[in-house]
Amino acid sequence: MHPGLRIVTALAAAGALLSACGTSGTPAASPTKTIKVGLVTDIGGLNDKSFNHLAYLGLTKAKTDLGIQGDVTESHTGDDYIPNLTNFASKNYDLVIGVGFLMQQAIGTVSGQFPSVHFAIIDGVGTDANGNDLKHSNVESLVFKEQDAGALVGTISGVLEKDGLTPKKSHKISAVGGVSIPPVNHYIAGYKWAAKMQDPTVKVLVGYSNDFTDPAKCSGVANSQISQGADILFQVAGGCGLGVLQAAGQAKVYSIGVDADQKSADSSVIASALKRVDVATYDAIKAVKDGNFQSGAVTFSLQNDGVGYQADNITLPADVMAAVQDMTTKIKAGTLTPPADIPDPTVP
Amino acid sequence: MAASTTSAGRRAPAPLIPSIRRAVRALAVRLGSVVFAFLLGAVIVAATGGNPVAAYQALICGGFGLLCTGGENAGLQISNTVVFLTPLIMTGVAVALPFRAGLFNIGAEGQLIVGAIACTAVGVHFATLPTAVLLPLVLIAGMAAGACWAGVVGVLKATTGAHEVVTTIMLNYVAQWLLRYLIIGGPLQLKNGFSVSSPIGAGAHLPRLLPNSNTLIIFGLPASVYRIHTGLLVALAAAAIYAFVLWRTAFGYEVRAVGQSQKAARYAGVSVRRTIILTMLVSGAFAGLAGAVQIAAVDHNLTDKYFADTTGFDAIAVALLGLGTAAGIVLAAILFGALHAGGAVMQADAGISGNLVYVLQALILFSIAANFLRSLKLRLPAIGRATGTPAAEVPATAAVAEVRAALHDDEGIA
Repeated sequence: MHPGLRIVTALAAAGALLSACGTSGTPAASPTKTIKVGLVTDIGGLNDKSFNHLAYLGLTKAKTDLGIQGDVTESHTGDDYIPNLTNFASKNYDLVIGVGFLMQQAIGTVSGQFPSVHFAIIDGVGTDANGNDLKHSNVESLVFKEQDAGALVGTISGVLEKDGLTPKKSHKISAVGGVSIPPVNHYIAGYKWAAKMQDPTVKVLVGYSNDFTDPAKCSGVANSQISQGADILFQVAGGCGLGVLQAAGQAKVYSIGVDADQKSADSSVIASALKRVDVATYDAIKAVKDGNFQSGAVTFSLQNDGVGYQADNITLPADVMAAVQDMTTKIKAGTLTPPADIPDPTVP
Repeated sequence: MAASTTSAGRRAPAPLIPSIRRAVRALAVRLGSVVFAFLLGAVIVAATGGNPVAAYQALICGGFGLLCTGGENAGLQISNTVVFLTPLIMTGVAVALPFRAGLFNIGAEGQLIVGAIACTAVGVHFATLPTAVLLPLVLIAGMAAGACWAGVVGVLKATTGAHEVVTTIMLNYVAQWLLRYLIIGGPLQLKNGFSVSSPIGAGAHLPRLLPNSNTLIIFGLPASVYRIHTGLLVALAAAAIYAFVLWRTAFGYEVRAVGQSQKAARYAGVSVRRTIILTMLVSGAFAGLAGAVQIAAVDHNLTDKYFADTTGFDAIAVALLGLGTAAGIVLAAILFGALHAGGAVMQADAGISGNLVYVLQALILFSIAANFLRSLKLRLPAIGRATGTPAAEVPATAAVAEVRAALHDDEGIA
């Protein structure tokens, strides 16, 4: 850098510091006790267009509606989970929320250290190093019946394949999972089960990217499935899965988004399986504010509108909508129960 | 540095002054880089509507436990910083040693990962052995794995001339994918549905400096939150060993000789190939030790966090900022560890994205690189003008030596 330019930069920075000094002396006074909530994202970060984003929406809604103080820390590596959770807990936050299955062990450790702080974890429980639930009385598990949402998008895929309305009419669909962990496999289980119910001839390819953050890894898996004939691809891989949606768009086949409505991520997205992490987060905060904190698992399903689906970039034919409606009714009534484990994992 | 001090002595009547001046300038460049990065960071924060004072206050709070406004516990913040900086010291050494030999080890991350894998594999397989046996065993396993991983690079470089930058980067990917295989569906996986390994036996745990107890209260918090561990002592010992080996052993002399000029070193009877291979072996052992210590002291199992771990890459910045000296590496590791720990507090307290920390790290590196080029430009004519130097010193070789010296700038500091 040119010496003159450097001086200018330094002066500009000094000016910024001084002007900032002038405004920093007026902190907002809050005499009454407000509920403090700390949200720790996993390494996907706030802009994952998926469940970290949704958790943040839930926190934002709670700040507006309930008048709580809500602070967020993003985790950049797995090394950050324990320090980030501990930071909020050590400052006596009323509720500390960990977003994601990957934080199970960290929640287990920190909740043991701070028995008077409430913890909530999306998609998991607080575990020890062996993966066993520690069942701490200050931990609430916000878990989802992803298989319900998977069954709805699986129904859409199955009917489209049966009707021959897909780009390649190949009777082959696929799913790209992040890592083979329960929240991912629940989605795929419901998807495969429902698609086969609608179109018994359909083949369901399942692949894993072993990653939740890097779109390139997921587009690699997606392209291999496309070359095997898949013409509807369901992404279940968070930020990594955005690569699936893009790969489908480039190959002019259909894709299905996950967790949040991912219509805008790519024009190939025909529907999204929804997981209302925002609702779960909001409910958990509200419960703490109302003094109704409940430890153990709280399950969000189709029954309580904790999961669902959203039709996106194409208009679904009437018979598809009818089949989805029928599936919804039957799951809610309990006459059909989507499986939590992938049926016949060795058969596509 | 013995060799160049001699040449400086021949060149100038007062031998100490130029080397001191150069050391001071090198330090000033580094400090200037850090100051520059922070000033530009402040501009970025202000330009995006944040408050730079609040941001840096929270950053200092998170890093060093000072100036806290949000009720942070100073001891906890310092402990977090130390946990983050410990592997940076060891991987920093793993990058700095090859720098001295003129090699760029971009593969500290991969060497760290295989070190962590070996430590875990041994720690899980022999979980029942007592500490006295198992702990040294897992650390040695980690060092051996890291040494092998980097040794491959050294052998390739020495025999086929394959560029170490390419091979180390590629081996990083191999290590990461090996890890993915091992803990997702592979032999080290805890159980189906988990992307972590089984935990290592208790005998393989490196003890913490404070008791790991949820009931004992220290500084107002349960003692178990302070994760500061004896791995710090291992890291400091590693830095001391690095300094000793570099300056007090024949091997260290050979490393520096090869780094200054391979031709000259060969002429002086140093086996360049042997030195390259040995350098990479030792370097890999340091990085592997970092991985082993991280497992033995902090994680106790392999997790998916290593898929996106960046310690081995941050180590390059640490080695550069630390002038390749042991003390400098420790200081730079403290800075980077504090930045890492402080980023989270900055986001929680000041609402500034923790990504600012990565901007700061990149700016520090960028300005070191920029200043390096500038000092190179300033030096080249000076070499041309130095007609009084011994005729034996070919200008091109001298220029290379000067560039290396500018990169290392070590005289009077180590």
